Amino acid sequence: MRHHYWEWPIPTYLFLGGLGGGIFCLSAILALIMYPSVAVVAEILAWPGFIAVCCLGLGCVFLIVDLGQPMVFYRAFIKSTSVLAWGARMLTICAIFGVLWFASYIPWEWFKPIADALVFFRPLLLGIAGVSGLGIMLYTGVFLSTLKAHAFWATPALPVLFTVSALSTACAAISLSMGWWPAQIPTAVYDMDSYAMAYLYVSAMEVCHEVLHVVDMILVVVEIIVLLVMVLSFLGAGNKTANRVAHKWVHGAYAGYFWIGMIAIGLVIPEFLYIFTAGSLGSTIIAPVMVLIGGLLLRFMVVNSDERAPLPGENLYYGRLVGDDAEFIHRWVYGENEY
Amino acid sequence: MTRYVMVIDQRRCIGCHSCTIACRTWNELPLDIVYNPVLTEGIKGEWPHVHRNWLPTLCMHCDKPACVPCCPTGASQQDEDGTVWIDYDICMACLACVNACPYGMRDQSKLQPRLHRFVRKCTFCRDKRKMDPTSEPYCVATCHQKARIFGDLDDPESEVSKLLGSVESFRLLEDLGTEPQIYYIPDLGGRR
Repeated sequence: MRHHYWEWPIPTYLFLGGLGGGIFCLSAILALIMYPSVAVVAEILAWPGFIAVCCLGLGCVFLIVDLGQPMVFYRAFIKSTSVLAWGARMLTICAIFGVLWFASYIPWEWFKPIADALVFFRPLLLGIAGVSGLGIMLYTGVFLSTLKAHAFWATPALPVLFTVSALSTACAAISLSMGWWPAQIPTAVYDMDSYAMAYLYVSAMEVCHEVLHVVDMILVVVEIIVLLVMVLSFLGAGNKTANRVAHKWVHGAYAGYFWIGMIAIGLVIPEFLYIFTAGSLGSTIIAPVMVLIGGLLLRFMVVNSDERAPLPGENLYYGRLVGDDAEFIHRWVYGENEY
Repeated sequence: MTRYVMVIDQRRCIGCHSCTIACRTWNELPLDIVYNPVLTEGIKGEWPHVHRNWLPTLCMHCDKPACVPCCPTGASQQDEDGTVWIDYDICMACLACVNACPYGMRDQSKLQPRLHRFVRKCTFCRDKRKMDPTSEPYCVATCHQKARIFGDLDDPESEVSKLLGSVESFRLLEDLGTEPQIYYIPDLGGRR
């Protein structure tokens, strides 16, 4: 049976898109809902915002490169109402408003007029980026789960899993990158003003780290539960195709990636590091990196588990056909067989 | 209203693959694309009562196609007569529809130039029928065993209506709810 139509750019995009959308969503929650009166919170989140924009941009490149006709990608914006078309629109909105929000923090002298013009709109820009970021996180899972040809994808657990994973990886990415340039954290204290300012930044960083730490701990637990519920329910009660994939995950070809890569490295070990080594290198750097690796692995494993129910005799038929590497296929030139 | 369907009589099919060849030739398909593979089932049963079936396939032109609503460009469309087709001028080959089709009847040719690929599928020879509305798809016209029968299901006098009203038939992967419009009259071994 033929499958794996989507190659590595698509799962990479699903990861990057979810990560970028998640960063903007969490940034909006932190800066606009939790601490709307503390301006430095948004400022220390500016660099994660830049990382998110890079993720979305790189994801778009992967998405476009994978098309059969990359030069006409704009057609996705024109008329369709499919989930994928709405996803492309939300991706664009999130990236544009995210860039504008980040631009409002750039301290370069020559850029000052543009940045100053955007300062007033910061809450609006981040709000729109955050809402469309939520849309990106949701649509990736929703889209795959609507493809009922693939029994392993067609489950309501998949959008939940992808959304939780996107939020979790976003927590990790923000923890790793928070407070860098363009946040103007004083490097030396000369007087009371600079001391107060430094204190404000350090306090905001600590509070945000604390919030993200707790949130990621909860999200990792939720992700473990949703992942195990999805895979083990398919193992016990799924239809034949989903059951076969679940077997592959639990004790087949993907078992190593699943148990060691995703469950251990991506979820359980980071959870223990978060709980028992709070404040140390293990909790602030190693655990977030492991969560990010787990998130990427999840997208690859799910997209590669695209088995569909074979028609009677289908495996035999396609097994008999020559492979793509047969010499006569390479010698055949498109267009030469036209009459 | 017109609703084109195809009835495939497995009792008549001898697995000669003529329909595949006719389709590939007339539609000028690249080497790595087959619109209508003839699948082989079997060998079934126990000696001496063994038998083998052939399952000619093609796009199922479903009443509720999974491939149409997922298309982000609107290239994947369905006519009022039920024909599901792709506007090659709009398709950007994102492969969403290829992944959505439960029957695996869509694909892009990797032999086409990298920047000019599009997804292909059977269209019940839509372009041929546009020129001559009474004509049949090439696979039907070429089938010397008359195993493929094409016609309008909404016309009670059509051959397909009479056949489906008189003998038992089945459809593939009906439980997915796509309501495929290719009907099979089962051979030995009966309905699967």
